[in-house]
Amino acid sequence: MIWYIARRIIYLIPTLLIISVIAFAVIQLPPGDFLASLISKAEETVDQAQVDALRERYGLDEPIYVQYWKWISGIITRGDFGDSFEWNRPVSDLIWERLGLTMVISLFTLAFVWIVSIPIGIYSAVKKYTIGDYLVTIIGFIGLAIPNFLLALVLMYIAFRYFGQSVGGLFSPEYIEADWSLERVLDLLSHLWLPVIILGTAGTAALIRVMRANLLDELSKLYVDAARARGLSELKLLFKYPVRVALNPLVSAMAWIFPALVSGSAITSIVLNLQTTGPLLYRSLQAQDMYLAGSLILLVSVLTIIGTLVSDILLAWIDPRIQLQ
Amino acid sequence: MQPTHTRLNAAAATDDVLLEVKEVKTHFFTDEGVVKAVEGVNLSLKRGQTLCVVGESGCGKSVTARSILRIVPPPGEIVSGEILFRQRDGRTVDLAQLNPKGREIREIRGGEISMIFQEPMSALSPVHTIGSQIMEAILLHLTVTKQEARKRAVSMLDLVGIPRPSETLDAYSFELSGGMRQRAMIAIALACEPQLLIADEPTTALDVTTQANILDLIADLQQESGMSVLFITHDLGVVAEIADEVVVMYLGRDVESGAVDAIFHDPKHPYTRALLQSIPRYDSRDNKRLYSIKGTVPHPFDRPTGCPFHPRCDDFIAGQCNLIDPQRALISRDHSARCLLYPTAAIHNPDEEPAT
Repeated sequence: MIWYIARRIIYLIPTLLIISVIAFAVIQLPPGDFLASLISKAEETVDQAQVDALRERYGLDEPIYVQYWKWISGIITRGDFGDSFEWNRPVSDLIWERLGLTMVISLFTLAFVWIVSIPIGIYSAVKKYTIGDYLVTIIGFIGLAIPNFLLALVLMYIAFRYFGQSVGGLFSPEYIEADWSLERVLDLLSHLWLPVIILGTAGTAALIRVMRANLLDELSKLYVDAARARGLSELKLLFKYPVRVALNPLVSAMAWIFPALVSGSAITSIVLNLQTTGPLLYRSLQAQDMYLAGSLILLVSVLTIIGTLVSDILLAWIDPRIQLQ
Repeated sequence: MQPTHTRLNAAAATDDVLLEVKEVKTHFFTDEGVVKAVEGVNLSLKRGQTLCVVGESGCGKSVTARSILRIVPPPGEIVSGEILFRQRDGRTVDLAQLNPKGREIREIRGGEISMIFQEPMSALSPVHTIGSQIMEAILLHLTVTKQEARKRAVSMLDLVGIPRPSETLDAYSFELSGGMRQRAMIAIALACEPQLLIADEPTTALDVTTQANILDLIADLQQESGMSVLFITHDLGVVAEIADEVVVMYLGRDVESGAVDAIFHDPKHPYTRALLQSIPRYDSRDNKRLYSIKGTVPHPFDRPTGCPFHPRCDDFIAGQCNLIDPQRALISRDHSARCLLYPTAAIHNPDEEPAT
């Protein structure tokens, strides 16, 4: 097991290098650069000499591989992700808190999705083709069909109108710029439910379907009948055998939640005004703020890979059929 | 009520009958229609004996077995009939009347009646050890501690001839060979010393050598414990080897039943005769084609009228077989066939039969 994990971690290094190259290349692909988009947005004409000075300062006239090398060697040796052009601050100043909040929201959303969808999925499979199953299925499909940002708007309205809560963002106004303290954590937790529900709805609906389908496959397997023929009660039987096997694919799907939340939920995060990485990535791509965008993509990839690693290790642990050699 | 039934009831009252299945019908209520998988099956199994149920695929053998244990998968249901089982404490219980999820049937399952299945690979959980599954059965039915259950599990694996039993206890099913898996299944089934073992084609998925080993093992264990075995197979070679009594099934009902010698040497029903003729013989000299029963088993929604076998029968009597549903005719005391070739009059006074 330890060897398995060690080997997997060693495999990560080339994967990450390739991802960093691709991330950087993709950001460079659109024509123009940060200065070009700055100039196009500027209202007054910009002095060409000034532009050239900026271009030289940011190293934008150097070949792409030199730019890449500067960026990646800075990250590896000094943890320096470069400067954001748009914010005029080091990238690392901008992203760490956002990344932390993104992780917090992701983990809470993951927990929410699992806690809600697994029992409902089990119910739906065991009571196949009953009114309860149809009801859950309908609610699930509605949850899947409603765009998250729309749900966000509706729930924000309800929270504001009927509960008087300050909506949007992850903090009450007085805590936004405050230092971390117990009160700030509690304030965060009291704001967290709204984005967690909104971001989790589609995932919950999808996972109910996955759980239902997995379990239906397992319920008709012979080993379930064999356990029943040993005299096990239906409830113990259900959880010891088919549910246990049906959970395996869910564990392997766990890794997808990070990229989905970081990049896929940008619109919802903008609507909800969440200080997560999604909106930041969106803006940096618009502005061709290449070091910020590249660093975000790199970090999201790292998270995804770590998520995959964690889910692989969990899977190897819960499913003895997976060979560790 | 017909006299036959009184006679069968009298047999059920005697001590040595362990299981008596009477006119059981198990139907599957699908969206496309009702599939009459079992349509009136009768069988009776004495203590310590082996009863073989034979028939082609789809004739309701497995559903009969599952009906006895009440593990017929939905949308299947037992719609009528009795399954009388003599429990260890001497009470006779009608399994067909029990709630399939209730405590009573659960105590019988695994405790008094056990079942082994055709494919040992899929009948063992892919993510649990062999030991976990044996100990589960032991802890459910016997009042023992976990350590005692583990000890018993090891001795069961030893009993069924698994080498290094204490290591195998912690192995997973995919780590064992097919024969070893079936041995493990047998160990699980016999862990609580059941009175009846239902074996649903336990050797079909195994190669011939392993098949012979497993059959020997079951026979040995039966000799030691005195349990009864209900053995389901389509292999007449296996039947000849292990059976005391035989029930031949066709389209969900027993067409002929009797002692193994009577069935093999004096088969009465045309279906039984046809089955016996279609066994390939290594010593046949002539170059004749192997006999095969004409036609195929009808589609379950398209059950023939009258005798269900008539469209494929060589002795078909027009105007009779396609109209009259034959009742069981007694050929001799323990030998009966459902065929119009034999006078149903025999049913009415079975005791006077030798005199006529």
